[in-house]
Amino acid sequence: MEYAVETFSLTKIFSDWWGRAKVYAVDDLNLQVRYNEVFGLLGPNGSGKTTTLKLLLGLLYPTKGRSVVFGGDGADPKISARIGFLPEESYLYRYLNARETLDFYGRLFGLRAKVRKMRIEALLDMVGLKAVANRAVGTYSKGMARRIGLAQALINDPDLLVLDEPTTGLDPIGTRQIKDLILMLAQRGKTILLCSHLLADVEDVCDRIAILYGGRIQTQGRVRDLLQQTSKKQITTDAISDSAIEKIKQVIEDEDADCVVTSPMDKLETFFIKTVAAAQQQAQPTSGAVSTTRIGGFLAPQAPVESILDKLASAPISRDTSLETPATEQVVPAESSEPKPDEQLLSELTEPAEPLGTKPVVKDEKVKTEPVEPQGSGQEQIKKSILDQLTGHRRPQNADSEQTDKSQAGDSGDA
Amino acid sequence: MHSIWAVATNTIKQALRMKVAVVFTILLIVMLVVMGVSTTGDGTLKGRLQTFVSYGLSLTSLLLCLLTIIVSIYSVTSDIEQRQIYTVVTKPIRRFQFLLGKLLGVILLDVALLCLFSAIIYTITIYTPEFSNATETERLQADNEFYTARASIMPPEADVTEEVDEAYGQLERSGQLPEDMSRDEIIAELTSRKKLAKRAAAVGYELVWEFDNVKPVGPDESLFIRFKYDVAVTPPDSQVYSRWFAGDYRQIKYGTKIENRIYTFDRKDPVRTFREIEVPADAVAKDGYLAVGFLNDPRFNNTSVIFPLEDGLEVLYKADTFTGNFMRAVLLILFRLIFLACLGILASTFLSFPVAILLCLVLFFTASFSGFVIESFDYLSENIGVFYSYTFKWMIRLLPQFDKFSPAKFLVPARLLEWSLLAECAALMVCIKGLLLLVFALVIFSYREIARIII
Repeated sequence: MEYAVETFSLTKIFSDWWGRAKVYAVDDLNLQVRYNEVFGLLGPNGSGKTTTLKLLLGLLYPTKGRSVVFGGDGADPKISARIGFLPEESYLYRYLNARETLDFYGRLFGLRAKVRKMRIEALLDMVGLKAVANRAVGTYSKGMARRIGLAQALINDPDLLVLDEPTTGLDPIGTRQIKDLILMLAQRGKTILLCSHLLADVEDVCDRIAILYGGRIQTQGRVRDLLQQTSKKQITTDAISDSAIEKIKQVIEDEDADCVVTSPMDKLETFFIKTVAAAQQQAQPTSGAVSTTRIGGFLAPQAPVESILDKLASAPISRDTSLETPATEQVVPAESSEPKPDEQLLSELTEPAEPLGTKPVVKDEKVKTEPVEPQGSGQEQIKKSILDQLTGHRRPQNADSEQTDKSQAGDSGDA
Repeated sequence: MHSIWAVATNTIKQALRMKVAVVFTILLIVMLVVMGVSTTGDGTLKGRLQTFVSYGLSLTSLLLCLLTIIVSIYSVTSDIEQRQIYTVVTKPIRRFQFLLGKLLGVILLDVALLCLFSAIIYTITIYTPEFSNATETERLQADNEFYTARASIMPPEADVTEEVDEAYGQLERSGQLPEDMSRDEIIAELTSRKKLAKRAAAVGYELVWEFDNVKPVGPDESLFIRFKYDVAVTPPDSQVYSRWFAGDYRQIKYGTKIENRIYTFDRKDPVRTFREIEVPADAVAKDGYLAVGFLNDPRFNNTSVIFPLEDGLEVLYKADTFTGNFMRAVLLILFRLIFLACLGILASTFLSFPVAILLCLVLFFTASFSGFVIESFDYLSENIGVFYSYTFKWMIRLLPQFDKFSPAKFLVPARLLEWSLLAECAALMVCIKGLLLLVFALVIFSYREIARIII
């Protein structure tokens, strides 16, 4: 099993009732998605992105060819237990409230009641719907429904996340949150297959992309390779004196090259989030979703070093205490209390040297903003997921090494 | 199993929160209570009870049938049309588990509602005498002829083959055979005439029926002779005067000493109406033998009296309690609902909501009048012939016969609904026909494309 998802000459022809008027929705598609990679399917409307996903998940049957997910059929319960799927719109049972919705999906996975309840609370917290969790989802706005849709896709802590237009209908904070989530899940070793026509989003998160048109792959490859202008270089510095700039210009002219000097612009996304965060801190009331950039506990990166003492101290407590994370955190001194969303946002936004946001042109690396990222604070790194302990998910690697592994894997794969 | 259960509870929540079930429930409760208070029947307590139970159970059955059809179809088709199914079948659940979950949900809902409504009907029925100002006689009559479950014995059909053959031979010899009828038709006609003749008493003549294996529950219980007269010429006052006998006829036949008492009743009864004669249980001989005699009284009558073949005469005796009978009758309704739930699930696997509803309603009403439908097609078959009897006939017989297993048919005449009949109903309606539908549904649903688009 070299690939997490692989298709072999996958073809889907839609015909009318009489079998006429054939439309090649997907035409001879050979797709390879590696383990632990964020793969983007791009294309204009009607290019076969969604159809491809449906074929993978067994919602449609291929006319020709076949697809393999985790070495098996995507519709096989053994395989689909490891998949999270967010369809192009959040198709929810309108009469259930958010909590019941997640509970229903959790039960489909056969999660035990305790695990289910914990994950539901963590996910509701993460998607910022805790305050409206007892309202029927039929009354939700599109963005809120989208958030619940995302939460249901994550309830089984999936190894493969299939996202169909994940950011449509979401406000910029929600969009940013999903992008952060995607990157973080990728760090945890998950594979993510998403399709979208919002190029900016894809560009920010995807390792590799395929561009579809008319059901065929037009081009496929690493985002970096496809976009990098190898004939140009960009240097970003702190604010330096004009004389220093003149010196640099001199050096460049000696190399017989042109150069342009400007101040880098903030992204509108960053600016927007800053504004909303300021409003949130003034606690202005909203009836909508509360935007947080928190990531559900059981999805968060694992502690880098888990001492035996920690395990001994936390394990029985996490079994006995009921599900509120704060309670557990009070009892276990090793764990720091989770920062408030607003503070996180603020600290993140006021960070002077945000590593990549200030380099808008260079696409060597993905734009990352990770409020609860391990580098953020030493204490955060030790934070463990109670759920994972209960469910037996243990990932010995720390987040940093995973990141390294991943980029190595990507490099070798493309070579 | 957990996924089936998850889908089932979700289906119940859907039915309750989409208010379908709630509307039906409130409607039915109101109607039952109003009916319980307002029904009068033929003025007697028994008549009132019969009317209430009959209409109450029929109404409950009808509304629950409609509810079952609607809920089972809606919960599957809406999932497909509103596409919630995309997020459900991509979870670790097999397609058949999804359908079984839906079915289980609908059946559980049915069971709950049926328990509720039958409890209401039962309570009202039991407490009606206390709140009515019925006379002691009426109460006694209700106890004997309504609050009971009586087994029925019909007289065996007379064997008339020889007489028919003889009559046919005579006609043939005299050249009087009607030319526009086939031999089978003539034989059938002759047979029914001869059989009827055996159940007809001319003025001044007597009819005697003999029964074996009559086993009343106790010596204090009564037997009931239930009969209906048909007459050649309707008398001016529409009444038939008669003398009835009940007892061990062998004592007279063989001239032995009279040990068991023979009861006689002089009566006046209207024609074409079911009437009952109460006979003390000691009329039955120790070996379970009982003879019933009818004398067409020559003093007042001047017409032949005929007892219709199907239901002209039977002997009833108490064999079980009303409660037991009532519960079995409710089970009959449940079987019907289970069948309809399977039908609804099947229809919704390949049809859209309105079409599926229409199909199921047509089948439901056909099944409700299956006796009539089968009869009329049998009549037609004389003209359509072979084609009909090999194709359509079998398809009609595949339908369940709701009217054959109608609960009111047993409770109104307080007739014993035997476990064997219940088992037959369960086997036919649920185990064979329901299961067949379900298998079709599972096969279709497993192979259809959930996200199919037709361009």
